[in-house]
Amino acid sequence: MKRNGKNSLVFWLFLAPVLFAFVMVIVIPFFLGVFYSFTNWSSSARADNALRFVGLVNFQKGLRDPTFGYSFLITIVYTVINMIVINVVAFLLALLVTSKTKLRNLYRAGFFIPNLIGGLILGYIWQFIFNNAVPSLGTFLGFTSWANPANLILAKRTSAIAAMIAAGTWQYAGYIMVIYVAAIENVPVELHEAAQIDGASPFTRMRVITIPMASQAFTITLFLTLVQSFKQFDVNVSLTAGGPSTIFMGKPIFGTELLAMNIYDTAFVSNDLAGGQARAVIFFLVLAVVSMAQVSINKKREIEL
Amino acid sequence: MKKYLATFAVLCMAASLFAQSVTLMQNKPEIDGALKAYAAIWGKANNTQVTIKSVGGSTGTDLGKELQADYAAGDMPDIFVIAGPEDFKQWQTILLDLSGEKWVSKTSVPFKVDGKVYGFPVAVEGWGMAYNADILAKAGVNPKTLVNLDGYSKAFAKIDGMKAKLGLKSVVSMAASIDMSWVTADHNFNSLLSNGLSYGDMSVTNDLLAGKVDDTRLAEYADWVELLFKYADKSVLTTGNYDAQVGAFAAGQAAFLHQGNWVDPNMKAAKTTFKMAFAPHGSMAKATDGIFVAAPSFYVVNNTSKNIAMAKKFLNDLVFTEAGNKYMVQDAGMIPAYSNITMKPSGQLSASVQAWAASGKIYSWNQYNFTTDFRQKTLGPIYNQFATGAIDKAKFIEFMKAAFVNMNH
Repeated sequence: MKRNGKNSLVFWLFLAPVLFAFVMVIVIPFFLGVFYSFTNWSSSARADNALRFVGLVNFQKGLRDPTFGYSFLITIVYTVINMIVINVVAFLLALLVTSKTKLRNLYRAGFFIPNLIGGLILGYIWQFIFNNAVPSLGTFLGFTSWANPANLILAKRTSAIAAMIAAGTWQYAGYIMVIYVAAIENVPVELHEAAQIDGASPFTRMRVITIPMASQAFTITLFLTLVQSFKQFDVNVSLTAGGPSTIFMGKPIFGTELLAMNIYDTAFVSNDLAGGQARAVIFFLVLAVVSMAQVSINKKREIEL
Repeated sequence: MKKYLATFAVLCMAASLFAQSVTLMQNKPEIDGALKAYAAIWGKANNTQVTIKSVGGSTGTDLGKELQADYAAGDMPDIFVIAGPEDFKQWQTILLDLSGEKWVSKTSVPFKVDGKVYGFPVAVEGWGMAYNADILAKAGVNPKTLVNLDGYSKAFAKIDGMKAKLGLKSVVSMAASIDMSWVTADHNFNSLLSNGLSYGDMSVTNDLLAGKVDDTRLAEYADWVELLFKYADKSVLTTGNYDAQVGAFAAGQAAFLHQGNWVDPNMKAAKTTFKMAFAPHGSMAKATDGIFVAAPSFYVVNNTSKNIAMAKKFLNDLVFTEAGNKYMVQDAGMIPAYSNITMKPSGQLSASVQAWAASGKIYSWNQYNFTTDFRQKTLGPIYNQFATGAIDKAKFIEFMKAAFVNMNH
């Protein structure tokens, strides 16, 4: 019993720093945020600035704002495409670096490195590539249409969203690849050997052995990419800043403003911090429901070894 | 033990003597270096730790957002910048009344509300259409004709026909991407609000704020916007950033630039050799012989600050010491808003602003009477739609009008 008591003291001591940080920067701000979403909070020194409850007004305003609805729609589109592209690319990269290719360790490092670059910087780098490098390359290679301003990738809404997906994939596929690599290497070699003796082709082996055996990895990678895509903010701000514009419900609005950026703009451009907070609460609820549904569906498909 | 305590107490007292500190947060990244250098010297002389924080340069990061975050965190700077009545309302209760300060008598443009002075004008700034005088001379265009729509459309067409000969990529360097909506929805927008009106005339602004639109004025303004967009380099217009826009003019690839005298340091950095000056905006059929000049931003002192005395001294010393004057005019290249300062900035565009101001041919800056929300989120996308060619001029006018009419609903 005595040893147990000592153990739990050690346990709590080791946990304390993390717990402290978690409570201070996640738990408390979360509940404060929910609290503020029901008030008129503006974080400014206006003359009529007393904090008071306004009920559900902020939520109603958010749900009635066409820009919020629009951001919801394109965030869903962006998330679905981004999840597919990142996972397909990451899985292919994982297959490449677990094969017997020469320099596979170099590839592993190379594919992972973009993940270490901050999203803002990465956005500006890609902005330069799309705005300057691609037209210059087009001129150099003789594809004049690449240099035509009408075809600039960031000048059109659909191609700008595609550009965000490209930049996002470049950043995140390496990270997801690492998870797939671990999963693929954990598949028992005997299964492959047995299948090979039975005459299964490499493709069949991947379909009936590798993919089912890696289903635990799929649960986690799909969850990570879902949440990451839904919360995308930094690449959005630095690469497109919400542009180009589009017309939605008869009103010109930002054409590539994802949900997180819409929340930020509501808070800081429109000076409506409580309104932004209310949108963040809606965002949280939707994301929590969707990601829990995703995890429970994926869990059912997992194979116990 | 007692000895340690005594030492500790002395140290604390000493620390509190030296611990005077002033934090200044401002929105001009181009003067950041000069200001920090001056603040370090001033701080040493006055036994004060001066911290300069500069935020700005794009819509993504701006002073307003930073101030809100710091206010929520209980960490407001001692001196910060406001840019007009909307900002004033936002920080009203923490702004110190500066009416009694010595510098007040030396400026004609302090920020005043109800007879009380709250803001120290940072600098006089202005914009018109900056032109490359060498290119205009080669093309045979007289800048004196650039005062209305007709004059500009003829000049633009003429220069456009000689682009290859003049080595130009486009006639105008203009930016209208969402990230650059401060050029369209702040600066260009002001042509609609104050061009051709006497200085300080708020009639058009107040009408628009009340949802009343003067159709003729708006139609002429739309012609002006169309003209600028038509002769702009399309890639700079739709996707270019500040560097792309200013860089094209500095490299001699565009004859006109839609920016203000704050690009002087950029011109210096690019080592430009050509002559340049400002011409008026041609947003109306009638001649409008003047450019937009104002002291648009003001240092204000936080009345909850613990260092009010030093903050006040910092501002006074800018005006009344030679080092302060030298910093403002020579190092930061700003046009001083104070009558006792005789130094002049060396930048050509700043000199042009001073020349227009000296002859009294100036129009107000009224755009900051509209909220950031309205300018950036409502007007910005409308200009962007027009710039990308997604909508035509009729639709542009319709959207602009709807924006004013629906503003208060």
